[in-house]
Amino acid sequence: MSNLSKILGGSSTTDPRKEGLPLFGLWGQESGGNHNVNFRIFDSGFRNVGSPWGGSTSTTSNYRYGIMGDASHAYSMNDHGTDFNSNHTTESYTSWTNYCKSTYQIDQYPHAFYYSASRNGHCSWQSYHQITSSFEYTVGWTKLNMVLPEGCRPRRMFCNRRYSMREKSGNNSLPSMDFYQYESHLLNTDNDYCVSTGYNEKNKMLVMVHSANEGDNSAKTVHIFKSSKDLNLVDKIKDYFDNLESTEYFTDSWSLDNNKNWCTVVGNNGWVGFGAKNGNTKKYCAFDCNVKGVGVDITGASRRYLDWQDFAGSTTTSYGAANGNQYYTRFNTTWDGTWGMIFSPYYYYGPGINAFAMSLENPRKFISINQTKSDYPNPYTAWGRTGFHGGNAANTDSTSWATYGFSFDPTDSDHTVDTTVYMGSTSGEATMPDNNSHVGGTYTNKTGSCSIANCYTQLTGGFHSTCYPVLIGLNWWGKYESADASFGGK
Amino acid sequence: MAIYYFTNTGEPCTSFEVTGEDLMKKGMAIKATVPDGIESWRLSYDTAAKAVVVYAEGQDEAGALAQRTTDAAAQVVTDKEKLTADLAAGEAE
Repeated sequence: MSNLSKILGGSSTTDPRKEGLPLFGLWGQESGGNHNVNFRIFDSGFRNVGSPWGGSTSTTSNYRYGIMGDASHAYSMNDHGTDFNSNHTTESYTSWTNYCKSTYQIDQYPHAFYYSASRNGHCSWQSYHQITSSFEYTVGWTKLNMVLPEGCRPRRMFCNRRYSMREKSGNNSLPSMDFYQYESHLLNTDNDYCVSTGYNEKNKMLVMVHSANEGDNSAKTVHIFKSSKDLNLVDKIKDYFDNLESTEYFTDSWSLDNNKNWCTVVGNNGWVGFGAKNGNTKKYCAFDCNVKGVGVDITGASRRYLDWQDFAGSTTTSYGAANGNQYYTRFNTTWDGTWGMIFSPYYYYGPGINAFAMSLENPRKFISINQTKSDYPNPYTAWGRTGFHGGNAANTDSTSWATYGFSFDPTDSDHTVDTTVYMGSTSGEATMPDNNSHVGGTYTNKTGSCSIANCYTQLTGGFHSTCYPVLIGLNWWGKYESADASFGGK
Repeated sequence: MAIYYFTNTGEPCTSFEVTGEDLMKKGMAIKATVPDGIESWRLSYDTAAKAVVVYAEGQDEAGALAQRTTDAAAQVVTDKEKLTADLAAGEAE
């Protein structure tokens, strides 16, 4: 009956956007890439799911160009450099070979700042000659943070600035496909610069933060919309606003070094988390954005859960939007959409991670996530059903590739109980536990901080001698139920 | 001098007392005294020696960053020497 229902277009059909569990690419090479370059695609069980390369070459013909079809050059032959073994410590986005390993490369959207990579193992670099006018450099921070159903990453990209929402096709300069001026729907126009927007597809709630400027102004008006139309299904953005069921707002004063850092995370229960990098630290607070009635609870204090929480882990010199638009605070979600995190590097422009992880069912449940690596980093990507991994590009000579992996409990959404985080390890019996205890821990809501443990995999880095692999985000993880052998259902 | 909390593997964990003491109770942190004015990326805890280690000790932040650049350049040389030796060994086999 269920099969018949699917054939006839019944309600049990799988969301066409739904992907299999997250995949990632791993680029490894000897220093010059002259005689060994290796790019493999792995699933969340660390099994190779990519396609083999064709072609052959000799030591006098660069493997990178011979096998990859010259895909990893940029504008001229060596724009990207020739050595992906390079370290990433304090270098900014203009240091092409280093910044590939920045935490800032990957967020919830299926594109990256520096490259485009397919699940079949084809990776091509962007032209760095256009980077200063690129999407992520210019308006990436205006993207909506999306809370979506299980297995879905954003497939439509809406950007919100001033009083205008636009739909874009990706990280390019092609024109907006649609735009809508929504100020006629606002109940308060004290502040006219939109600095952050979040959308939850389950409750069709759109929440946006407006300030008096895109710099450090503290005045805030938070607009809360609920519509009968799903923003991700409308033909025109206007349709969402034409079908509003409620419109509310509240005002408050939130200080920050740069408003482009703000992230808005709309929970399934109507509570909304607002957080951002601020100097070397980060701040977060949850507000009740459920319908109260027009003119009711129009101050932040009347809707706030406790007080603002500063990042509780270790901090050091690190850079965000105050140092350049492209370093805005990122948002990502787990594959199943039950947990999210707003994050930025621990160190300068890329290494390590300072994050708030929050339940997307109930954003009042949150903890700090910390990893203090200050060199040889990698970006973080969604991993498995309810986790993330990445952050480690250490030399794999004489050892296997390691990654900082951690996972949450998808049913853990009660903010009055500690948060469980599952982690791996690097030493002793904890590496492969033969008992019922997990290696992670439980962390106190709000003030707790989880320092992520390094986890060994059984993967080589890609070359038998010196090799510092690069973790690459992929545009498409594959069709749900057929792409990832590690998914055992639930 | 200041109090700092490290993970059980010796990495910087937190400078916040509420967070650090909570982790201590759960057996997930080590409490130690660290010099004032040192950024956390330079700090680690030697679990065998039970002592705080300061990278580029005696130098200011600018000096530590310069030391790091020097160390990174040396690492590149070491990597290339290792690579050359590994390749030569492979060809000899």
